[in-house]
Amino acid sequence: MDGAPPTRDLSFAEALREAMDIALAEDDRVVLMGEDIGVYGGAFQVTLDLVHKYGAERVIDTPISELGGAGVAVGAALTGLWPIYEFQFSDFSTLAMEQIVNQAAKLRYMLGGAVSVPLVYRMPTGSGTGAAAQHSQSLEAWFGHVPGLKVVQPSTPADAKGLLLAALDDPDPVLIFEHKLLYKTKGAVPEGRHTVALGTAETRREGRDLTLVASGVMVDRALEAAEALAGEGVSAEVIDLRSIRPIDRDTVLASVRKTGRLMVIYEAVKTLGIGAEISAMVAESDAFDFLDAPIVRLGGAESPIPYNPTLEAAAVPQIADIVRAARDLAGGVV
Amino acid sequence: MPTEVILPKVDMDMSHGTIAAWHVAEGAAVTQGQPLFDIETDKAAMEVESPADGMVHHQTPAGTEVAIGTPVAWLYAEGEEVGPRPDGAAPAAPDARAAAQPLPQDPGVPAADHRAQPAPDQTPSAPAPKTAPDPPSDLRPDPTTGGLRATPAARAAARDAGVDLAAVSGSGPRGRVQRGDVLAFAPRRRAPSGPAVPLVLIHGFGADAGVWRALEAAVDPSRPVIQLELPGHGRVPAAKIRDFKDLVSRIRTEFDALDLPLAELVGHSLGGACALALADTRAPRVAGLTLIAPAGLGPQIDGAAIAGVARASKAESLGPWLRGMVGAPAALSDRYIAAAARARADAGLHAAQSQMAEVLFADGVQTFDLTPALARVGCPLRLIWGKRDSVIPWRHALRAPGRAALHLFDDLGHLPQIEDPAAIAALIAPVTTTTVGRAVHA
Repeated sequence: MDGAPPTRDLSFAEALREAMDIALAEDDRVVLMGEDIGVYGGAFQVTLDLVHKYGAERVIDTPISELGGAGVAVGAALTGLWPIYEFQFSDFSTLAMEQIVNQAAKLRYMLGGAVSVPLVYRMPTGSGTGAAAQHSQSLEAWFGHVPGLKVVQPSTPADAKGLLLAALDDPDPVLIFEHKLLYKTKGAVPEGRHTVALGTAETRREGRDLTLVASGVMVDRALEAAEALAGEGVSAEVIDLRSIRPIDRDTVLASVRKTGRLMVIYEAVKTLGIGAEISAMVAESDAFDFLDAPIVRLGGAESPIPYNPTLEAAAVPQIADIVRAARDLAGGVV
Repeated sequence: MPTEVILPKVDMDMSHGTIAAWHVAEGAAVTQGQPLFDIETDKAAMEVESPADGMVHHQTPAGTEVAIGTPVAWLYAEGEEVGPRPDGAAPAAPDARAAAQPLPQDPGVPAADHRAQPAPDQTPSAPAPKTAPDPPSDLRPDPTTGGLRATPAARAAARDAGVDLAAVSGSGPRGRVQRGDVLAFAPRRRAPSGPAVPLVLIHGFGADAGVWRALEAAVDPSRPVIQLELPGHGRVPAAKIRDFKDLVSRIRTEFDALDLPLAELVGHSLGGACALALADTRAPRVAGLTLIAPAGLGPQIDGAAIAGVARASKAESLGPWLRGMVGAPAALSDRYIAAAARARADAGLHAAQSQMAEVLFADGVQTFDLTPALARVGCPLRLIWGKRDSVIPWRHALRAPGRAALHLFDDLGHLPQIEDPAAIAALIAPVTTTTVGRAVHA
């Protein structure tokens, strides 16, 4: 901690906008790109009025082609700009896989380090908004599987700002997954330039009996569950991953060494996801010897996200699910 | 999904046990911790508590002998549909075939799928066989590798402590040995070697076996040391104590289970009272008795300190009480207090200890009087007290009979074994079986 910098209460969306505002003001190379991010202000009103402050040459509305927009961003990055490209919904990044996975992620490697692709993709993500199967997915693990990409997932307004600015500082492509349910949540955000190092997790709550690893909106749910569990005498530690790739291995392993019990909570489909990665990471490490119960993964259902609100809520971990599973894990029932 | 109730391993050499009796009828409700059934082995009878709340179904009938780890009943939640036995075995007639089936344990498979599984060759009317089935393959130690169900942490703890995992009974699901099981097993016995009589240490109210660490390090390492913990303290589960007699009977059960021909008892504070009561009823097996600031020798006690310790959940609240108990506050390090607070982090423990304090020290008064027992002690007896003890007045020591040795320390408080472990260890000189023989029969 470098003293306590002054903070202001901002929403998650405001914190992201402030980060972009700072970046646009600091360096002419920074440009924003995306569908309806100009006068309309963005699908979730994150860029809002930045077009009026910096003009249409730096806050650029792109045509309705994710493949085209994401590709133009790669070209712009290769030729000296620092673009931030917004997908309206991260689900639409499936249309731009070629540019993200085959171009942005690989060009530095394939050209022997002669170039880098310093761009940021902003990815509004997740369920809970009634936007149905094609607008509610959690695809962060897809991109976390690709060497050459970095993937972050903030859970607080402060981290939204800090991770977005750190992503822009990074010489390689970074995807920032912004959970749509978080846009309106408020929190203290450090003033001015504030960065959070990529690949660093944060222990949000110290505990003794079990470790809950989560990211994005699941951090809030894990914290609320931990509070409920404390009332039952179960002491849960909550780790906010913040980065999916690279993963902060040390923080997770240290916590498991301490508690001996691990539960990974994530909204994405349970199978072949972040939970599997973290479980394997622990099982392959010396923290294995500290496990005093099987690892528990609490992930999304093996189904598309339903439109029906009741089913939509049932398809991803909720606070009550976390409390129940954690109680069993800590109580030796699992 | 219903909760499985298995036949636990309650004895080191146990491979099978007989269900002696059910305390709860088929279909009736139980709460976690309530006595559920009795088991008998070649050596012992033992009550088994319910692992969870629920309605008991599919009971294996009393009189049936089963292998450890075998399910003997299932607990269903209120309103949960009760189908055939979830393991598909024939009711009341476990046979080798049923036991050989893999257990339906995949939590991802809904209960309905288990019901759909055919239970081949069901013979509901067959009488319960007296011979036990083999335990299901994944519960049985592998004959070639000795594989058994234990967590990685339990295995690591067993390696560190030099404990044979097979000797530890597992409290986890399906008899899985967990780290706590190994820890509860391991520190009790420092390898007995030589002719020295084991020391049995009993800690005081609000403490746990950790209170002996410094003393243990200072006594002759060849001396076997065994620690008993009070109910609701340390690793011993919470239990409602009715009165001092009830507390002593629980300690006596623990002591008897150690099966020691001869032991020297050392008790501190409430543990001193327990040690004295134990010496009174187990005289032939007690070679010597050391009471450190014992309770039970007079009515006075610092009720506020007792209540404060019982309630304390963190170092900040525990520290002032503990420091107030010692002659020189610096005698207790921050680390000691932090460790003591960590060991007390369990909310259930506070409740149990507060309840115990209310019963034993009602209105700040010691409700039990052991001075008659003190007069009856026939073995070598010593009392150790710090004259700065603010919890129990040291003058209670003067009620000891003339043949007892009194060791009164001017500068020590209520925790002499922590304040000056070397001095206390020197008093507890090694007693060998031969010298004890002389002492007892001379």
